[in-house]
Amino acid sequence: MTAVRAVVPEPLLEVRDLLVRFRTHDGTIYAVNGVGFELGRGERLGLVGESGCGKSVTNLAIIRLLPKPAGRIEGGQVLFDGQDLVQLTESELREIRGRDIAMIFQDPMTSLNPVLTVEEQMIETIQAHKKQSKNEARARAVELLGMVGIPQPEKRLKAYPHQFSGGMRQRVMIAMALALQPKLMIADEPTTALDVTIQAQVLELISRLTTETGTSLVLITHDLGVVAGMTDRINVMYAGFIVETATTGDLFERPSHPYTVGLLHSMPRVDAREGEPLIPIEGRPPDMRREPTGCPFAPRCAWRVEVCWSENPSLAPLAAGERIVMTGPSASHRIACHNPPLPDEAELGRPTREGHVPAAAPEGEADELASLAAIADGVA
Amino acid sequence: MTAQPVPAVGGVAVPASTPGEDLLEVRDLKVWFPITEGMVRERHVGDVRAVDGVSFTLRRGETLGLVGESGCGKSTTGRAIVRLNRPTGGSILFDGQDISTVEGAELRRLRRRFQMIFQDPYASLDPRSTAGGTIGEPLEVHNVGTKAERREKVRDLLATVGLNPDYGNRYPHEFSGGQRQRIGVARALALDPDLIVADEPISALDVSIQAQVINLLERLQERLGLTYLFIAHDLSVVRHISDRIAVMYLGRIVELAPSRELNQRPLHPYSVALLSAVPIPDPKVERRRRRIILRGDVPSPVNPPSGCHFHTRCWLREQKGNPERCSAEIPLLRTLSTGHEVACHFAEDVDGSREQIQSTGRGAAGTVPGAAGWTAIPGAAGTGTEAYEDPLIEDGPLPDVQLIPDASMLLDMPDTRPVYPPRSDEA
Repeated sequence: MTAVRAVVPEPLLEVRDLLVRFRTHDGTIYAVNGVGFELGRGERLGLVGESGCGKSVTNLAIIRLLPKPAGRIEGGQVLFDGQDLVQLTESELREIRGRDIAMIFQDPMTSLNPVLTVEEQMIETIQAHKKQSKNEARARAVELLGMVGIPQPEKRLKAYPHQFSGGMRQRVMIAMALALQPKLMIADEPTTALDVTIQAQVLELISRLTTETGTSLVLITHDLGVVAGMTDRINVMYAGFIVETATTGDLFERPSHPYTVGLLHSMPRVDAREGEPLIPIEGRPPDMRREPTGCPFAPRCAWRVEVCWSENPSLAPLAAGERIVMTGPSASHRIACHNPPLPDEAELGRPTREGHVPAAAPEGEADELASLAAIADGVA
Repeated sequence: MTAQPVPAVGGVAVPASTPGEDLLEVRDLKVWFPITEGMVRERHVGDVRAVDGVSFTLRRGETLGLVGESGCGKSTTGRAIVRLNRPTGGSILFDGQDISTVEGAELRRLRRRFQMIFQDPYASLDPRSTAGGTIGEPLEVHNVGTKAERREKVRDLLATVGLNPDYGNRYPHEFSGGQRQRIGVARALALDPDLIVADEPISALDVSIQAQVINLLERLQERLGLTYLFIAHDLSVVRHISDRIAVMYLGRIVELAPSRELNQRPLHPYSVALLSAVPIPDPKVERRRRRIILRGDVPSPVNPPSGCHFHTRCWLREQKGNPERCSAEIPLLRTLSTGHEVACHFAEDVDGSREQIQSTGRGAAGTVPGAAGWTAIPGAAGTGTEAYEDPLIEDGPLPDVQLIPDASMLLDMPDTRPVYPPRSDEA
């Protein structure tokens, strides 16, 4: 888990200015608003954020599985191994999905077919992409189930998904995902539905298998604890934007976007010091039906200044003028923030600089901080 | 809002206990759900032993965390205490009165004093009732005050939980998840209860909202002197909010200890495994830790393993060459140090073990067992960040750990170590 992995400079996946919109009866949902990142071969990237931040939609857009007809990629490119997935036809894509890009979803019960045995599903997957006889495919399936630690794989192959426990189902999903030795595995909250000791089993399995096979990994989760031990690099997302990106070490060493700082301070840690208070991020997540104008985090941000309300900052390196490295262990630490917290403020979780008052909201903007203060005043 | 004592109902004075006293005492609580077969004549073929002999006490003003994985019986325990389930056996003493068999009007009267907060703020609110209606319903049911007084009380409650008092006319769908959970809290507070059983109150919420609700619960406890039974699967959340923690596995409490003690010196092999599995958002700490990967899944509570329920997955038993005692004899909760109870025949071997130390990634050696038994963890208070500096790197050499010199001998001897009266020095 700790070894620094050699990353070949040419990226496996390159996402450029991805725009995803959902056209619904309630109006347009601005789900992903110009996301760009790269993923090196063998690299493990974490996409972190809360529900509705666009992390799962980014993933679905990459493999073109957005719910139709509402979800649309309205701009940008997804270059996988040099091919733009956005431009491919459905049949060309089907070749790539499963063979080159495998997916694991949160709930293994809904991603497995309940009326087919695991055997039928695994053999189908293998035969869809490889010219193999049924017996060869079955042998491979047994081998895979053994690899993911399912006892008595020959016997379990005949079982239906409901006969497995949640952890075991997720193992079956991992076995199917790895069946064709994909170049990229996308795991979307793979352990959120599992108990913590089972989560440990599954994470260890994903970590071991991707390392052994050199598969690149995109791990999507809301849990900063999970990415801390599982990834080389992390993108933090908020309201459809990447707000901070850095190597895993840098991100936790020096969290620099107010949202990242807020997330870290709002999670209790088992190893926290006694009596350490939690500092919540006040207010509510943004309404994704509004086209973003200023910084999307401004209504909840204690560090905001005037310009945050009108101008959405773009991702820029922490050290100004630094050459931008997109992947690998020396990837640049970049944030999208006009007024980033200083290191000691990040440590404390709130602004300490003298005379700083969060800039008042302009007319018509929701101000989560102010409305909260008003309620507190009225009561206390 | 001010915390008023619950007015006497029906001329019966409600005994008011003082802080620090036992508010709740659960003794050998059992909740079994029968399994039946047959369409016409139902035959009783077995039981799901969801809770199988749980005992603990809860002092007034205290928070006890009940932690465990799904199916361990923690929610069933909580529901039995507020009498949403009827206990199969055992007793629940609430302020001195056994409530395990109370029914009807008497139970309704008592319910004013213990309330529950549920996990899912989407499912636990009536979508056709306004926030004010939901919060005020308990007041109506129990006939508290006049209509105008109730309306005023609802406004108070909304403000208490950090919502705009004018939001009383809105419907649940107009609120976000965090705000809905605040409505659930306000409803639980409506009758000025003594005890609140919170069943996974934040698991359905987003990370940034979770902290808001935790802080709210803590603030309310301080202000209103509430007693919490806090049920959750997430050890880090439980650790944060609880004074003491009970770890459950397959219907039984396996370890019960002060919160800090449990996190720094877990003494049950399952607690150690559970703690080691909780991810810590710090790659440096993560690198130093080693997870104990438990094999397989939790066995079925219909037919739990004999002896110690955990013995089928226990790493310590394996290390010790599978002693027969684990599968033959049910381990009872034993007090090993002040307020620290463990149900494991070989708990002494856990202390100071690599597994215990590596579970937190702290690398602090933890214990120096003294001749007379156990000593406190040296420098445990506030050693947070300093301990991270320990050069315990994965795959590197481990610090020397002093093991109990004659642990095996201790096991064969009658236990003569001083057993402290529970919590004598804490009150």
